[in-house]
Amino acid sequence: MRTVLALISKEYKLFLSDRVAMGFTFLIPIALIAIWGSIFGNVDSGPEHLRLAFLNASSSPIGRNIEKVLDTTRTFSLVKSYQDERGIEIPFDTVTIKDYVRKGNASAALVIPPDAYTGTSIGLKLKFYYDPKNDMEMQIIQGVLTQTIMSQLPGAFIEGMQRKAVRYLGLDSGTAFNTGIKSLVSRYFNIDTSKIVFPSLKDTIASTSQESKGGKEFFKNVLDFESEQLVGKNIANPWATRSVGGWAMMFLMFTLTASSVSLFEEKLSGVVLRILASPISRVQILWSKYLFNMSLGFIQLAVLFVFGSILFKIDILSNLVALTLLLVGASMACTSFGMLLSAVSKTQSQARGLGTFLILAMSSIGGAWFPTTFMPGFIQAISKLTLVYWAMDGFLQVLWRGAPLVDILPNLGVLLLIAAIITSVSILQFKKGHVF
Amino acid sequence: MIRISDVTKKFPTVTALQNVSLTVADGEFFGLLGPNGAGKSTLMNLLIGYLDPDGGDIFVGDEKVTRDNLEARKNIGLVPQSLALYDDISAQENLEIFGSFYHIEKRTLLDRIEERLRAVELYDRRKDKVSTFSGGMKRRLNLIASLLHDPKLLLCDEPTVGVDPQSRNAIFDYLEMLNRGGKTIVYTTHYMEEAERLCTRIAIIDSGTIITEGTLDDLLAKLSYEESISIIKNSSTIEKLEKFRQFGTVVDDDDRYELKPNGTFRLSSFFKSMEDEGVSTRFIQMSKPTLEALFLNLTGRSLRD
Repeated sequence: MRTVLALISKEYKLFLSDRVAMGFTFLIPIALIAIWGSIFGNVDSGPEHLRLAFLNASSSPIGRNIEKVLDTTRTFSLVKSYQDERGIEIPFDTVTIKDYVRKGNASAALVIPPDAYTGTSIGLKLKFYYDPKNDMEMQIIQGVLTQTIMSQLPGAFIEGMQRKAVRYLGLDSGTAFNTGIKSLVSRYFNIDTSKIVFPSLKDTIASTSQESKGGKEFFKNVLDFESEQLVGKNIANPWATRSVGGWAMMFLMFTLTASSVSLFEEKLSGVVLRILASPISRVQILWSKYLFNMSLGFIQLAVLFVFGSILFKIDILSNLVALTLLLVGASMACTSFGMLLSAVSKTQSQARGLGTFLILAMSSIGGAWFPTTFMPGFIQAISKLTLVYWAMDGFLQVLWRGAPLVDILPNLGVLLLIAAIITSVSILQFKKGHVF
Repeated sequence: MIRISDVTKKFPTVTALQNVSLTVADGEFFGLLGPNGAGKSTLMNLLIGYLDPDGGDIFVGDEKVTRDNLEARKNIGLVPQSLALYDDISAQENLEIFGSFYHIEKRTLLDRIEERLRAVELYDRRKDKVSTFSGGMKRRLNLIASLLHDPKLLLCDEPTVGVDPQSRNAIFDYLEMLNRGGKTIVYTTHYMEEAERLCTRIAIIDSGTIITEGTLDDLLAKLSYEESISIIKNSSTIEKLEKFRQFGTVVDDDDRYELKPNGTFRLSSFFKSMEDEGVSTRFIQMSKPTLEALFLNLTGRSLRD
């Protein structure tokens, strides 16, 4: 037993000897739990401020009510206009609101058409356009939207039911039914029948010709929710197409972190000293590492996407140039990330610990695991500082939305900017000389 | 070949080298002898331009050695103290990688690799992964990996650490052959036997300072005595410690006393006195003075401290 205790003691001494690496052992789970907690902590109240494009073309009170309720609900952030090329805000029409969703500016749009609810309607007509780039997000949007609309419908629902009943039973039976109801209410509540007012049934009769009289379809058209998927209709495997970018980025970062920290192994073994004893400069070593890791990252991503294409029928050929440039940008940004880990860490253990933490944190808040729209506003803002966010968004645009090269230029620009900034910081850190 | 002028190198917590000046001539086998932590490896790192000095200059040939001057390194080969090899690939692949840093024509490089592998008796194992090699074999491979560009100057930083006697001798023979072929060699060690066997000129370094330098004979001549006397510790010799001190300075060195005779020392009177005191001559060993004794004389400490 003493021997085992001595061995355990040895393990703890070694573990405690690298304080920073030890810190990561505890910091990583604490930080990730904190991040996930802040994301899912509000699970009872649901996600907030999901962007919903909205157009109310109806003058009906119920349309105004729905707009008012959606305007004040925390779940949605209604977008009612877009900016044109000159930066001028222009209210949506039925065409531009669909383009807005197609371009990925919002995941869904709700249109209340001019004939949404008229004096003769037996139900409420709504149009719903959506981009199911994320299943979880779409289910929540549809669920909350239906619930919100239905909560505003009781009056219209009763009114519609009554109109439907009259059309089904005929005017005489309907009038007799109303008279009977009035008598009952008058008798039990001691109210004068003249004070009990039902809507006129004559208006209802005027537009009955097209209505079905089948009892099975009695509830049809009380809420006529016309849905149209605007993006990804022809994609063979939506799940794989949407997910491949996020997972590829996460594994790429793990690969490049491992590759970058190999500098520590080379230093420990003396190989770095041997290389620097030859006519090779530190800058040349760094660039060779950078270019190797970048090409390795590119090849890994390319292989993953090719396999995704073979196994899951992900369409990688339609926008091959845009996809290739995006792979280059993502590889460069991830390589810079790996180099930074080597530059700021003093030991291999520290680099691995810091790498694991940052990869998991960036993947989770960057949208690789769940939609960024589920996260609190400040985390959504932070997520835009991560390379995972921009790479994933780019992959989604190219593979899911079929976006051309020009549409992913901002993503490409941000990835290259991230690569340039992080590489510069890394080189400055390397010059301070932890590794060399 | 090498000119080191007044070089100082400081680290945050220690001054590794203090005003070191040395010259090494073309074709010399120069030894740098000192205990661990004396500053030998720091001096090597300065010689290859891995570090820049805080003061002073270093020239190899006509090139000033700095971190940024890659030209100076073309004529230098470094045998690092650690086994600077890739374990997971073969000996041949290691050598091809390290040779490629010097832009040697492919055929020439392959010929040199074969010649060097044969010279250190590793040719038959050239396709084996380095991880399967013994410590001695790795040391030999570590040595020839520094010679592929045929440097004029070879810097060996304790190249025999942890090596079995057979491999050590093979390394010594090979280095001597290289030196005979005209290579200038700087060899750091804390084993005085190695310096005595190999080096035509030796500098002794301690605490970042060169405390003496010269040929082996020059250095030994600095001792004031011609015999080195070791007295094995046991109950009879320990109680006679004061008696020994009448003949010189006694240094306690593990299992023995090292007696550094004083100027009036007479061997005959020493042995007569021992006989009178009843100390058996079995416990007394005479030898020619060594660099170890010189280091002890100069610093009061053993090279192994």
